[in-house]
Amino acid sequence: MKFLRGGGIAGFIIRRVLLGLLVLFLVSVIVFASTQLLGDPARAILGRDATPDRLAALHKQLHLDSSKVGQYFQWLGGLLHGDLGTSLASSQPVSSVLGTRIANSLVLVVLAAVISVPISIAIGSYAALRREKLFDTLSSNLMLLLAALPEFVVAVLLVILLSTNVFHVLPATSPVPPGTHAWDYPNQLVMPVATLVIAVAPYVSRIMRASMIEVLESDYVEMARLKGLPERTVLIRHALPNAIGPVFQVIAINLAYLAGGVVVVESVFNYPGIGLALVDAVSNHDIPVVQALAMLIAAVYVTLNLLADVATILVTPRLRTRL
Amino acid sequence: MTGTDDKRWQVVERQDGLWLPLSRRNLLMGAGGVIMASSLAACGGGSAPAPAGGTDTAAAGTPKKGGDFKLGVTGGGSKDMMDGQNIVTKPDQARLVSAFETLLEFDDNYQLQTTGLAESVSADNPKQYTIKLRDGITFQNGKPLTADDVIYSLQRIGTQANGLTGFAATATMDIKNVKKIDKLTVQLPLLTADSTIPQTLASYTFGIVPVGYKAFKGDVSTQIGTGAYKLKSFTPGQQSVHTRYDGYWRESYFDSVTIIDFSDSTAQINALKGGQIDAMTDLPANQVNAVKSSGVVPLISQTGGWIPICMAIDMAPFNDPKVRQAMRLIVDRQQILEQLGSGYGQVANDIYSPFDEGYNKDLPQREQDIEQAKSLLKSAGKEGLTVDLHTTNGASGMVELASVFASQAKAAGVNITVKNDPNYYGDAYLKLAFSVDFWGTRGYLNQVQQGSLPNSPYNETHWPPSSGEGSNFGDLYKQALAETDSAKRIEIEHEMQKAEYDTGGYIIPYFNSLIDGHSAKVAGLSPSKGTLNLAGFGHGFRTIWFA
Repeated sequence: MKFLRGGGIAGFIIRRVLLGLLVLFLVSVIVFASTQLLGDPARAILGRDATPDRLAALHKQLHLDSSKVGQYFQWLGGLLHGDLGTSLASSQPVSSVLGTRIANSLVLVVLAAVISVPISIAIGSYAALRREKLFDTLSSNLMLLLAALPEFVVAVLLVILLSTNVFHVLPATSPVPPGTHAWDYPNQLVMPVATLVIAVAPYVSRIMRASMIEVLESDYVEMARLKGLPERTVLIRHALPNAIGPVFQVIAINLAYLAGGVVVVESVFNYPGIGLALVDAVSNHDIPVVQALAMLIAAVYVTLNLLADVATILVTPRLRTRL
Repeated sequence: MTGTDDKRWQVVERQDGLWLPLSRRNLLMGAGGVIMASSLAACGGGSAPAPAGGTDTAAAGTPKKGGDFKLGVTGGGSKDMMDGQNIVTKPDQARLVSAFETLLEFDDNYQLQTTGLAESVSADNPKQYTIKLRDGITFQNGKPLTADDVIYSLQRIGTQANGLTGFAATATMDIKNVKKIDKLTVQLPLLTADSTIPQTLASYTFGIVPVGYKAFKGDVSTQIGTGAYKLKSFTPGQQSVHTRYDGYWRESYFDSVTIIDFSDSTAQINALKGGQIDAMTDLPANQVNAVKSSGVVPLISQTGGWIPICMAIDMAPFNDPKVRQAMRLIVDRQQILEQLGSGYGQVANDIYSPFDEGYNKDLPQREQDIEQAKSLLKSAGKEGLTVDLHTTNGASGMVELASVFASQAKAAGVNITVKNDPNYYGDAYLKLAFSVDFWGTRGYLNQVQQGSLPNSPYNETHWPPSSGEGSNFGDLYKQALAETDSAKRIEIEHEMQKAEYDTGGYIIPYFNSLIDGHSAKVAGLSPSKGTLNLAGFGHGFRTIWFA
């Protein structure tokens, strides 16, 4: 399998990008096939009034009159040209329906990532250093508890605490009025972002702790200490880079989960993002929108995993040199 | 209308079943075929500022101007629209009544009043009505309301290709020959006698639009009605903003109204508790007491809405009247009311339209009788009957009703499998032997026209039968439509209801209540028997204000 090797990091990235594209292609086949399982969309749309002539007209409009394979390539071709089709429910282009919603969800996910990743790495590392001491016991148990709580419970608890029953300091819902941006209302973002941070942080901090403990017990850390390096250097120069490899994978999985999993949070806070759009599209049989969102979420998964693999390799000499 | 518009309408076309409130009568007092305009005008029409329904006495204090009213509504989505004569989602209803008004209006007791755009609607003879408009009413662009607008409005609804909700109700109108008598007078000829015309004209999907009007397509300036609030901005699936029309012919109080879509009631309740919205639709019954402590005021309105279990009378096993009878004896109506409506509602008796003066209250209340049901099934040779009951999440309670009924049926040895089918309204609707559906408040004859005649658009039970009791149902309906003596007409209606009660295909366990919530600072709201939430959304947002 020599052709799969070589080229160093650049070669590796190119191979992984190609692999990612292959995955997306396979996903597109699955997405297309599974949306066909919803049955004849024209029949679902017309309902009881599915008279033969109306069916035929709608079939034509939705390109359902060509063969399945033809339909697939028509859709894929549009996708590659950035033409996502027209939403059946709103009669608007899918891109304009989803544009601001994608931006809104992106704001949530990016803020959640930017806040949760450093915090959870810090908590995990510190807990590993203070292993079985008070901080470790407290933080580990707290993280376990938070990991056990479903997001909507966290969200509802936050609402009860901060906006409806105990304190009245933050808005209970976060509707971003049309024509404005999510970041125009920072106080509306606090609770949804906090919910997502709480959803992600426990996993990242626990894997960070476990990984750090393993590294701290390793020979080279002991060696570094015996050489008399300051503990600070030992930790930041020697332990952290080695401990963080596996954490990238967990971060990637969690962020990818957020991209598709914001549904619950968006629903609780009535936040107009892709999660709500997806629910709406599925209930309306709005196939072009469902397909576009499914592809988008798949692309996010593929990209994040690619980034995590690259990052892991960059911080792991053993893997890097094998390329 | 383009094909796309038709499609949008079709996606949820069934929903109009719940939301189109057609009722009738109580004003048809004149014997001998003439409905006196004076009898309508006497109800308080003439003076312009009369609050709709005149039942606002419950609201304390003097109305105050000002404030931005925010309403949270569930049930909307990307298919939201705005049209003065059509809706597909619940927020669409709120938008419609903010800007568009009807010729006649129902008050909170579901009685017809001449408080609307017409100062009178009178029958010249059983096949011809005359509509007289109130003088001095203007559309939101300053154009005066005239007979031409009424003619355009009625013909727009009566054109099938427009796909409007009210089309079926124009069947008796000679829609092409609606005639202008003078600037404020319209003559409406009928194809066949129809005493329900005034009720039809008062239903909210018969909004009056200006000549040349078209549904919202992205340009807010096209949405010009005679109502209190004018559309300022609208993003389907999210929100619409409406500002006060200063030239409005009646009083209105808010500076602006914002209608916000909510995906679920938890967020809606939280927003109301936290003060982000001032009122919400459809407060879950189990939350009524819980929200009171947070300063939320529940508004509970007993309506004539119903969720029936439908048995197709021409399909096995329900083509045997004994089986239908047995099914109706299996139901514990009180238990269903407790479980589905948390007790908010009233027990029903397998017939509909409880607010109609023709509603037959003398039929004995049907009670659960498992022994009788068993013996009926036995004599029909259907002991241990196994049957599928189809339902869907079409309206709240539909799935729950199927489950509760299935568990009650076990006592009679009937095995019911509940099939929750998300595509129910697309594929199988009206072709099933055993299914659950939903309806809103309507007058009796209007409801019959919608669901109980061979040519009704939504006849789930395939009523009436071709022979035996009820086979003359269609003839009786025509007689009732043409009958102008209300006592005689009620007699005919009682006969029709008796047939449905004895051998019909509906199981109607209870009439549900609408439960909404609002903050304590909203004044002017009181319960209404109509189909729309929050007393017809505060009668088009004009009879409510911030105290």
